[in-house]
Amino acid sequence: MNFELSEDQQAILEAIDRLLTQHAGPARAIELNRQGRYDDVLHHALDEAGFSTIASDLATANGPAGLEAALIVEAIARAGGVVASAAQLLVAPAVSKHRIAGPIALCTLDNLAKPVPVRFAAHAKTLLVLGTGEVHVIPLTVGEMEPVRSSFGYPMGRLAEANRFFDLSTAGESLGTEAAQAMSNWWRLALAVDAVGTMDAALQHTVAYLKQRRQFGRTIGSFQAIQHRLSLCAIQVEASRWLAREAAYHGAQAEAAAAAAAFALHAADQVFTETHQMSGAIGFTCEFDLHVWSMRLLALRQELGGVGGARRALVETRWGESAQ
Amino acid sequence: MEFDWSQDDIQHRNDIRAFLQQELPENWEDMSQHGPGGDSQAAFSRTFCARMAEKGWLTQHWPTEYGGRDCEPWRHSIVGEELWAIGEPRGSQYMNVNWIGPAIMTYGSAAQKHFHLPKISCGQVLWCQGFSEPEAGSDLAALRTRAEKIGDHYVINGSKIWTSYCNHADFIFLLVRTDPQSSRHRGISVLLVPMDTPGIDVREIPSVVGERYFHEVFFTDATVPTSVLLGPENNGWDVVNYALQFERIGAARYARAAVTLDKLAEVAAERGMLDDPIIVDRLGEARALCEAARLLVYKVIDIRAKDRPPTADTQLARVLSTTCDNAIGRLALDICGPESLEYASFADTNFRLAMTAGIAVGATEVQLNLIASRFLDLPKD
Repeated sequence: MNFELSEDQQAILEAIDRLLTQHAGPARAIELNRQGRYDDVLHHALDEAGFSTIASDLATANGPAGLEAALIVEAIARAGGVVASAAQLLVAPAVSKHRIAGPIALCTLDNLAKPVPVRFAAHAKTLLVLGTGEVHVIPLTVGEMEPVRSSFGYPMGRLAEANRFFDLSTAGESLGTEAAQAMSNWWRLALAVDAVGTMDAALQHTVAYLKQRRQFGRTIGSFQAIQHRLSLCAIQVEASRWLAREAAYHGAQAEAAAAAAAFALHAADQVFTETHQMSGAIGFTCEFDLHVWSMRLLALRQELGGVGGARRALVETRWGESAQ
Repeated sequence: MEFDWSQDDIQHRNDIRAFLQQELPENWEDMSQHGPGGDSQAAFSRTFCARMAEKGWLTQHWPTEYGGRDCEPWRHSIVGEELWAIGEPRGSQYMNVNWIGPAIMTYGSAAQKHFHLPKISCGQVLWCQGFSEPEAGSDLAALRTRAEKIGDHYVINGSKIWTSYCNHADFIFLLVRTDPQSSRHRGISVLLVPMDTPGIDVREIPSVVGERYFHEVFFTDATVPTSVLLGPENNGWDVVNYALQFERIGAARYARAAVTLDKLAEVAAERGMLDDPIIVDRLGEARALCEAARLLVYKVIDIRAKDRPPTADTQLARVLSTTCDNAIGRLALDICGPESLEYASFADTNFRLAMTAGIAVGATEVQLNLIASRFLDLPKD
């Protein structure tokens, strides 16, 4: 057990932070969101620096390098990066040994049967579709997915009207049960990791604001009613962080991944509610960065059954035998 | 950063489990229903801790010079998890090994170390903590119990309240005011007082938590030699702060909560309650909470293992452990239904033992204050 970064992990994080300082941040996220664009520049920079393949590169006979990949995804989420890094770094390497072309969007069969907004789908080169006991790896061509306007912080797309009768059997490669289980576990973990970085930034942004905003002749952050609620949020974020990191380290085992997602996605709601309530009206505006992270938290809660789905999965994996 | 147990640690956990199978009496479940302060559990703790000591496990995290084995705090945390999970057969002696012994090692005189540490490390002595007073609960620095120095003795007058384990205790780790002109944190001292000192009177406070759980301890001209002073006179606040850093996560509440939850899932399955999506949701929520609390406690153990100064991570861990314990206590009532209304039923026992978590060792609100100032660096004014 060691909760401190190793020298290698420290070096990885310093490198990603340097890259993110140059290519990401809330101002860039706001600009890209306004235009409904994906951050191709950041995506390529991550590719070129080798971050997109780090999980496969660092994986050893002893297991996947999920923790290092998770640390990178957490940092990108904290910086408000408009890239599908969680799918690329955490999910794709677990689903297939072959390199899957990114950007990658993740969805379920249901999300195609009754098309709904899917994060990054309008810009993705590959769609990973989770079905019952199988995964469909579908290369996308321009126009198959249409952009969807959304307030929830990510560029969204859905299956275009013209492709509503999409034939999965001919659309791409189909992988079996093992891949489906891996996708389900790593997707849950990816949601937790994205939520951790995003919650962390939303909370830090709010705390910084409340330390300088004065009302009633004192800083808002000095009121005990506010301090206790911020402290409770901090506990949620820290616990989510360590659950996600431990689960990533152990290769996103079903139970640990479900626990991490169950906790983090529940915490995401609390952090969203509290950071907005405490930021007041300025928190709703585009000029105040909070929305870059806060709105995303609610989007993450919509995937793979959200909190309820993660809790159900947790109960099934831990007490499955009793449950039957 | 890595999250593996060493092979030795895994083996140690297995050894502890095998030891418990062998050592716990058949009626252990009945015996442990009143918590670590119950009569039968207190009596059993002397036998059990002596056996732990024989194995070299009771104080293995202590330095060898004090009868330990210099093991990492991680090793001791395994013992804490396994024992607390099944109802803490060390009784109140978990406090001895977790923080009373270490406080004596850090602040004690050579004579105090020589006298007290061997008794603790062989599992033959029971302690209680004399902190709270009627007018000093969460605001511990408001304490008034007075120890007046007369010659080479202290004469103690005052009272302590909510004291657990004192009906069986041999010694009390007592916070007193030694400087009558002082206020708040200054002028407080720690005394290591034998409970058979004339002038000490213990009265039980009947409560819904359980039998012999809370007590008042009255001191009327209780006279002890000045050699019982632990650390510098009037600087006891530092001593108690040091001790409380260990105590706040001393009980592995998440471990007991996790075991309780496994049993609740079994009960729910037997009764067909897993068809109820609300029950499934609450079970999932509770399991995630247990794991979350475990990891925040591990973070604190990691800091301790590296011999770093304590941080507000202790408070984060404490608050979440409390949340976890309470959530599972309430879930037990809801899953077990009306049968939980019977005293000492499974759900009742777990609920009662969990219900004090948010008050003991500093109310949750005090922990949140500390997180706000030390972790989030929020201003006071």
